[in-house]
Amino acid sequence: MRYVTGSLLMALLAIVQSTVLTRLAFLEGTPSLILLACVSWALVGRAGEAMILGFIGGLFLDLLSGGPFGVSSIALVASVYLASLTEGRFWEAHILAPLGVMAAASAVYYVITTAAIWIAGHPLSPDRAFAQVFLPSTFLNVLLALPSVQLAGRLQEAAFPPAVRMG
Amino acid sequence: MTRLSSRALLALTLTLVAGGLLVLNLGGYLSAAQGLVLRPIGGLQEWLAQRVSAVQTLLTSPADLTTLRAENQRLEAEVAALQREVIALREQANEAEVLAGLLGYARTRPESRYVAARVIGQDVSPFIRSIWLGQGSDEGIQQGMPVVTERGLVGRISEVYATVSRVQLITDPTSVVNVRLQTSRADGSLEAQVNGELWVDLIDQSASVTPGELVLTSGLGGSFPADIPVGQVVTVRKRDYELFQQAVIQSSADFETLEIVLVITNFQPLSPGQGVP
Repeated sequence: MRYVTGSLLMALLAIVQSTVLTRLAFLEGTPSLILLACVSWALVGRAGEAMILGFIGGLFLDLLSGGPFGVSSIALVASVYLASLTEGRFWEAHILAPLGVMAAASAVYYVITTAAIWIAGHPLSPDRAFAQVFLPSTFLNVLLALPSVQLAGRLQEAAFPPAVRMG
Repeated sequence: MTRLSSRALLALTLTLVAGGLLVLNLGGYLSAAQGLVLRPIGGLQEWLAQRVSAVQTLLTSPADLTTLRAENQRLEAEVAALQREVIALREQANEAEVLAGLLGYARTRPESRYVAARVIGQDVSPFIRSIWLGQGSDEGIQQGMPVVTERGLVGRISEVYATVSRVQLITDPTSVVNVRLQTSRADGSLEAQVNGELWVDLIDQSASVTPGELVLTSGLGGSFPADIPVGQVVTVRKRDYELFQQAVIQSSADFETLEIVLVITNFQPLSPGQGVP
C-alpha cells in the first residue's frame, strides 16, 4: 500500500514539475521535486523505500521528457543511495547536514542526467549547463532541503509512529 | 548481510532494471505501456495547466486585481464565488482571444487543416526544448506534423500517444528547419544554438541579407509546408573567408507564453522522423 501511495505521489510531483515548475525557472534551473522528496525520505531513515520511489519517480519524469527513458531512475537511485550513506555518521544529526547531502545528491543527479542527454546526441554547452542549470537548480534544491526534510519527518511520524511497549 | 550492503544491492538491482527499461525503450517495446500511463497523466496535466494558466493571468493583471480586491471588501460573503467566476471568465476570454488569433491565421491558409491543442506541460529537462500537447493520435495527430500559432512556426510533433503528444520546438538544438529569407530570396538552414539563439546558416555569400528581413519556411526537404513565418533577421554575420553567411533571428512565436497551438494535420512530411530525436 505504501508503494501505491508513494507512486501516486511521485506521479503527481512529476506532473507539477512539468506543468508548474517549468514556468517558474530561476535562470534555467528549477527545484527537482522528486529528488527533494526521495532524498528527504532517505534522510529520515527510510532509504530503501526512498530508492524504490526514486526509481518509480524517475520513470514518471522520463515519461514527460524527451530524454532517454530510465536515466532519471538511475540518477535518482544513485542520489538516494549517496544520501543513505550518511546514516549512522556522527554528523548525521547536525541541523545543516541535509543541506550538504542535498547539494551532493543534486550534483550526482544532474551530472548523470546531463551526461545521458549528451551521450544521446543532444548538443550541450558544459559552461552554460553548469551556470544556467546545475548551479541554480542545486541552489533551489538546497534552499528547499530543510523544509522538505522536516515535512518528510512529520510524514514519517504520522505514517509510521514508533512502537511503544506498555508495562 | 549488513544493512549497507543490502542497500547497495537494492540500488544495483534498480539501476539494472532501469538500464533494462532503457534498452527496451530504445527498441520501441514500451510505447504501448507509456501511452497507457500517459493517458491519465495527460488528463491531470491538462487540468492543472488550465488552473495554473488562469492563476498566472490573474496575477499578471494588477488593475483587475485591485478591482477584485475592492469587491472583496465590499462583498465578503460572495467573494469566493466571485473570484472563481472571474478566474473562469478571464481564462475563457483569454482562450477566446488566443483562439480568435488562431482562427484568423487558419482562415488565411484555407488549404491546411488544423487541430487546436492546448499546451499542457514542458519538458522536465532544461536541455530539451519541447512541449506537451493535450491531444494525440485520437485527434488525428501524427509524428512529424508541423505545429504553428497565428504568429508563426512552433515546431513539429516528435512523439504521439493516444491522448497526448510531444512537440519538438524549433528552439531545440537538434531541430533543423529549411528556411527562405523573404526579400533576398536566399535559402538557409535554421538551427537553434545551445544558448537559445536561433541562427540561419548556409546562406549564400552573394545574398544581400538585411536586419528586419522576414524568415519563412522554404518547404525544401518536405519537412514543413512553405511560407510559414519563422522570425525576423536581427543581425547578419558575413566573413569573406567563409563559404556561407549566417543570420541571427528573433522567432515570431513567443515560446514562453504558448497556451494553444495549431497542428497542421493534412501535411504529410516526407520523412516524419527526420530531425526528430
